Amino acid sequence: MTEQQAHAILQAGADTGADLTEIFIEETRDSTITFRDQKIESAVSGLDYGIGLRLVYGTDILYTHTSNDDIEHLIRLIRNLASTRFGKTSARTVILPDVKNPGWRESAVRPGSQTIKAEFLRRADRIARSLSNRVVQVSAQILETNSLITLINSEGLYHTEERRRLRTHVSVTAEHLSERFVATEGPGYQGGLEVLERIDIEAVTRAAAERALLMLDAGYISGGNIPVVMGNGFGGVIFHEACGHPLETEAIRRTASPFTDKIGQQVAHESVTAIDDGTVDNAWGSIVRDDEGTLAQKTILIENGILKNYLSDRVGSKETGAPLSGSARRQSYRYAPVARMRNTYIAAGKHKFHDMIASVDYGLYAKKMGGGSVNPATGEFNFAVEEGYVIRNGVIAEPVRGASLIGRGHETLMRISMVSDDLELAAGTCGAASGYIPVTVGQPSLKVDSILVGGR
Amino acid sequence: MKAEEALDYVSLRLKAAGVEAFDAIAGESESAGLEVYEGKVKTTELNVSRGIGIRLFRDNHPGYAYCEKYSIEALDLTIAAALENSYLTGELHLRLPEPAALAGMEIHSYDPAIEEVTFEQMKKFCLELEQKAKTLDPRIKNIPYLGASRSTSRFIIRNSQGVHLEKKSASVSAGLGVVAHSGNNRKMGVYSNGARSFNFDSDYMAQTAAERAISLLDARPIPSGDYPVLLTNRVASQLFGMFSSIFFADLAQKGQSRLKDRLGDEIAVKDLNLVSDPFIPEAPGSMLFDGEGVPARKIQVIEDGRFVSFLHNLESAYRAEVEPTGNASRGYSGRVGTAFANLVVPVGQAKISDLQQMEKQVLQIEKLEGASGCSAVSGEISIGAQGFLWEHGRMVQPVDRITINGNFFDLLTSIHHYSDSYSDSFSSVKVPDLLVSGLKVAG
Repeated sequence: MTEQQAHAILQAGADTGADLTEIFIEETRDSTITFRDQKIESAVSGLDYGIGLRLVYGTDILYTHTSNDDIEHLIRLIRNLASTRFGKTSARTVILPDVKNPGWRESAVRPGSQTIKAEFLRRADRIARSLSNRVVQVSAQILETNSLITLINSEGLYHTEERRRLRTHVSVTAEHLSERFVATEGPGYQGGLEVLERIDIEAVTRAAAERALLMLDAGYISGGNIPVVMGNGFGGVIFHEACGHPLETEAIRRTASPFTDKIGQQVAHESVTAIDDGTVDNAWGSIVRDDEGTLAQKTILIENGILKNYLSDRVGSKETGAPLSGSARRQSYRYAPVARMRNTYIAAGKHKFHDMIASVDYGLYAKKMGGGSVNPATGEFNFAVEEGYVIRNGVIAEPVRGASLIGRGHETLMRISMVSDDLELAAGTCGAASGYIPVTVGQPSLKVDSILVGGR
Repeated sequence: MKAEEALDYVSLRLKAAGVEAFDAIAGESESAGLEVYEGKVKTTELNVSRGIGIRLFRDNHPGYAYCEKYSIEALDLTIAAALENSYLTGELHLRLPEPAALAGMEIHSYDPAIEEVTFEQMKKFCLELEQKAKTLDPRIKNIPYLGASRSTSRFIIRNSQGVHLEKKSASVSAGLGVVAHSGNNRKMGVYSNGARSFNFDSDYMAQTAAERAISLLDARPIPSGDYPVLLTNRVASQLFGMFSSIFFADLAQKGQSRLKDRLGDEIAVKDLNLVSDPFIPEAPGSMLFDGEGVPARKIQVIEDGRFVSFLHNLESAYRAEVEPTGNASRGYSGRVGTAFANLVVPVGQAKISDLQQMEKQVLQIEKLEGASGCSAVSGEISIGAQGFLWEHGRMVQPVDRITINGNFFDLLTSIHHYSDSYSDSFSSVKVPDLLVSGLKVAG
């Protein structure tokens, strides 16, 4: 897109009375290589290309996207979109940005060598299968995405940025007497092929394989309301789902959150401090600027149990009064940006892990969480425990499978009574209104005094 | 460049490069929709998507690539990437289909009138729906989600054997989520649906969403134990959908289904039948050919409790030395998978009210919370649920904060009764209400 074309689009938006006209251009080269059945099963390369155009009128949003970059098509889309607006406004002034490098300076960087990745995946297969003959399948995958995005708006913003990420998944299936269990590990970081050097494939594969083998023979826990010690790292997914989403202005502005109008109030046990930080160096969920062009920030959500901030985008900020937090994110040009999490975690506390376990007569140690879901409007959540153990008389006892945790996020926050000093972060993928985005979840091990555990 | 021109170009270049076997697909879609909140249109979207996907075979080694940019440069780059990828992959044997006659059915998946549905129509409907939902009951305090949309899509497939097929689809959708309050309790009730024409009943939609929220407002857990469980048709469909992949041959061949080597075995109660039916008029899973250009056909998967057929794409069929069943799924950006057309369990004769009183106590599950505790590989079911407890045919309390736990393979052998009705949702999974045993309840 040339400077002239960009200006023409911004002017067309302003002519319809839009307070903000925004152009988001994305070119993404991605590659996915999948190993299964002891061979490279598939290798897929992709070129995603498209333009998202957003018109904001006060707090009303009009959005359109297309892969066709013909300027007449784009102007027509703007006009068609604006013609749907119910209630006309007069033309706005526009600050035309200085587009120093019109069009693409260069195409997005092509993903790194597939051959190196293939060997990395073969190693995972060899390691897992060497551990036990009960390992019947190893599925391993590397996904690399290199995006070049350009953001231009009618307030004079012109920003280009390259975003590179690489993530690997290793899934190991163990089988015994027709029982099967599959366990997965999925580390990922910002960067290209060099990220593979950061990933200890032996440790990652062993973690997945050993969990699959252990859980294969595991029994079941009796369900009920019992104390739960949640493991560190990916255990943070519960806070992410049950508390993080309801703290996004997307939920607050619809008054669809238990945390609406609770700034300054105690919403968690005093031992809880929770943070969403977009600036963690090279972390999977970090960003330089958000998808509206605001610089990424570190946002304290809850400090010693007191609610301090929401996560906001421009419209959410305007509607709720929350300060901009640099949290507007989207999966791709197909989505308008909304406030989303980045690297979200509960800060380390002072307790020791073994003291937590020792404090429980009968309960569950949820060492590794699976996925889950939440209804932000009610706070109700449901999470699977991928690797669990019974705690009996203050000691970790037998492994259990098939457990799930049920509750309401805002109630569970108040029942956290111990937070340990072993904070860890883990990569994840978050799905919501603006698509699937890379995020980090994290927490130290923590104890919840009572939570409903589903079992048999 | 249009999709057809891009496909022409790709086909010519692949042939010129000496690639003997390939297929290429083009996908295009257009959608328009809006969301309403507090009497105002808050979000309006108008979207156009397109892309070309290539799968080629170099000496039986597959290579995939796709692109969303229709330029000579981008298409050349995509072909080169697919070729490069084929040097990495293991051998894969399959036979691409030849041109063949499709079933002479009219599945009514596309009505051009849908493209004429205007924003004004959608806005009027949504505002009316919001107004009705808001005034139904004072306990309805908020309607955070309410919207309507229309979408059309086109799918073209060509292959090196001369297959050239195209299909179009169009649908509309509308829905709302209402939040009801009672003291500190909040419950959300959701109703959304799709259709082949924009003719939704706003009274019914508002009432259904409101009832779903209000009826669960004072829910409480029940003691843990064994209960006969009534899975409503929405929930039963959701469960069968979650576990549908156990019937896919490609996953069984890769050790991801416990049905591997079970063909011909009794795996379910004797009166359970399950089919993949591609010919139900207007249903979202209906099609005349699949994602690899194979003519679709009706496949009996479970017959009188016996597992009689896997669902196949070309790869799994070649491996199993059977004919493909026409169940390949594919979008331009991904590799080939397997999917049901419409997954159908036939209805029985009982009314749901009969099922509610067939046992002294019946736990009726109305809503499942998430799917993360369910694994199609192990069959594990561990999931939060909400619903109603019935005693002697009388509803005694709404229930929440419970989990149901069991195994899907055991569930197939523990179905006792089927109701006579499906849910009204625009879904490719149709399962009636089921009265089952063997699920553990924790509360």
